[in-house]
Amino acid sequence: MATHVPTANGTEMTGATSLVKSLEAAGVEVMFGLPGGAILPAYDPIFDSTIRHILVRHEQGAGHAATGYAQVTGRAGVCIATSGPGATNLVTPLMDAAMDSVPLVAITGQVPSAAIGTDAFQEADIRGITMPFTKHNYLVTDPAQIPGVIAEAFHIATTGRPGPVLVDVAKDALQKMTTYNWPTSINLAGYKPRVKPEAQAITDAAALIAQSSKPVFYVGGGVIKADAHKELRQLVELLGAPVVTTLMARGAFPDSHPLHMGMPGMHGTVAAVTALQKADLLITLGARFDDRVTGKLSTFAVNAKILHADIDPAEIGKNRHADVAVVGDVRETITALIPALKAALAKNQPDLAPWLRQMNSLKSTYPLGYDLPDDGSLSPQQVIQRIGQISGTDTIFTAGVGQHQMWASQFISYEHPRTWLNSGGAGTMGYGVPAAMGAKVGAPDATVWAIDGDGCFQMTNQELVTCALNNIPIKVAIINNESLGMVRQWQTLFYEGRYSNTSLDSKRVPNFPMLAESMGCVGLACDNPDDLDKTIEKAMSINDQPVVVDFRVHRDAMVWPMVAAGTSNDEIMIARATAPDWDSQEL
Amino acid sequence: MTTAPRRQHTLEVLVENAPGVLARVAGLFSRRAFNIDSLNVGPTENPAISKMIIVVGVEGHSLEQVIAQLDKLISVISIKEIMADTTHAVNDTQPDYQN
Repeated sequence: MATHVPTANGTEMTGATSLVKSLEAAGVEVMFGLPGGAILPAYDPIFDSTIRHILVRHEQGAGHAATGYAQVTGRAGVCIATSGPGATNLVTPLMDAAMDSVPLVAITGQVPSAAIGTDAFQEADIRGITMPFTKHNYLVTDPAQIPGVIAEAFHIATTGRPGPVLVDVAKDALQKMTTYNWPTSINLAGYKPRVKPEAQAITDAAALIAQSSKPVFYVGGGVIKADAHKELRQLVELLGAPVVTTLMARGAFPDSHPLHMGMPGMHGTVAAVTALQKADLLITLGARFDDRVTGKLSTFAVNAKILHADIDPAEIGKNRHADVAVVGDVRETITALIPALKAALAKNQPDLAPWLRQMNSLKSTYPLGYDLPDDGSLSPQQVIQRIGQISGTDTIFTAGVGQHQMWASQFISYEHPRTWLNSGGAGTMGYGVPAAMGAKVGAPDATVWAIDGDGCFQMTNQELVTCALNNIPIKVAIINNESLGMVRQWQTLFYEGRYSNTSLDSKRVPNFPMLAESMGCVGLACDNPDDLDKTIEKAMSINDQPVVVDFRVHRDAMVWPMVAAGTSNDEIMIARATAPDWDSQEL
Repeated sequence: MTTAPRRQHTLEVLVENAPGVLARVAGLFSRRAFNIDSLNVGPTENPAISKMIIVVGVEGHSLEQVIAQLDKLISVISIKEIMADTTHAVNDTQPDYQN
């Protein structure tokens, strides 16, 4: 890759060139996009840029790819599209990135400023449309503002609680001549995120922990965003309390660690869900009391005090009152908390042994598991588990949304942060393939598997063409149960088995291996448990082309455990109509 | 989430004088189901800054949550609650940002 040579301030150029020079100055190495009329002036200087531009087949793919890239690298992902439908196709990825706090910068072309408001060809008010789910957004009509706005966009996207920022640039602002002027500093009067926690809050937090006899670390995705996994492990081992990692935090703490109780929430482990329910203190780190974790809020962890550490002050007390709040970067918070807790424990060392014994009893009594199908067909859980075991813990996994996503979070062992990418808050079907593409671009030496569903795959598989043509050899496992499986599971459980519009017939149409081959990938299929390992090994052996494997699995497998939507975590089921045997547990 | 009785609070909000800022504030109240009882926008002596006086009906959520969400808008510079007899700053706009 050519080395970026900074452009001197004061140089005359078009707004388009200024935009591309600004992106270079912001450190962008890769962007995902698709040109059109309004953004076309920018594509001319992109042709000469040091930035690698990956031409996608649909703008939604560009957005999720930028997210995958950001989740793997920790840097801002960048996507670029034209006005109107190009911009609206970015709406879903922007909302997805906002829900999961992903640093993203989206650039869109806008119709010329004189045409704004006239219902011009391909005009859409994308700034208005994206206000609810961007951290901030801009409409630029003056080319002189371009460098300053781009610098601000990257600053806002990547600092504080990360999030998406959209910059909409009118076509005439790209075409006009301007003087390039990259700012030397950024000062936003309305944006001063608190990074360093208050000393008093840390002291209060340490005191609260030292008074607790049933504490649990409730770890959220913020720990991964803040690169705080090493500090987290030190803190956990200092206290010796159980840990749960949410869907967004899988990999923040090693699954193999004896203090790890697993994932909490709607499809969490009995041990993790019960740890939260029975705790006297939740040590909440970069998590946000999402309804998928709490279940019915009024019955959630009713005896627990709440220590809530988050970089976003608006998360404090949003869903659950915090007894002690620590606002700041979670790595700074944990780093400060370790010596404070040592001091507090020196004065008062609570005995956590009975609590740990209870939790370990639940963990060993109710491990995650599944039954193999009676008819000898392929088990979806087994497919996912074997891919994890054969591919190893350095692999990056992405998922779509649904049953396969939950099984991938349950049956793959995550030992490292940034190895599990999924759409947690938004629940975006179709996230898996484009996110895997972006992840592979961000981590080209890693094996990247997209664990996808047959429904999800049919939403965004066009990006396999992009992967094939741009040397992005991802691997895709389609967990093909020929259904919208999670919806079907709910129909089984809550709608008396009336399967309204959840059958996709995708063992008949499309022919996934042929579809994959037509897009320049290797297409494989497997429907027999005896062929499972050798099919996965065959996929693992192909590294010069994307590979798609159609795993034709048993249709009726369900995700367990389950806390039904709107019910209490206390009503967790380990199988249909089967609650844990609470009487045998000393809780 | 509390179910406190409905109370009115008056907020003085300084915002950037820029296109779309009213939509950002109004949209936030709408999508978070906060109640605006009245809203006035006017100039300040600094042409780059406008002043909004927002009367908020607080019901089913806390005033702190309304202020915290409002403060997340980049275009919002400061928020003060105006009391009957006095005013006091309620958000943290100290220059504590470190990077």
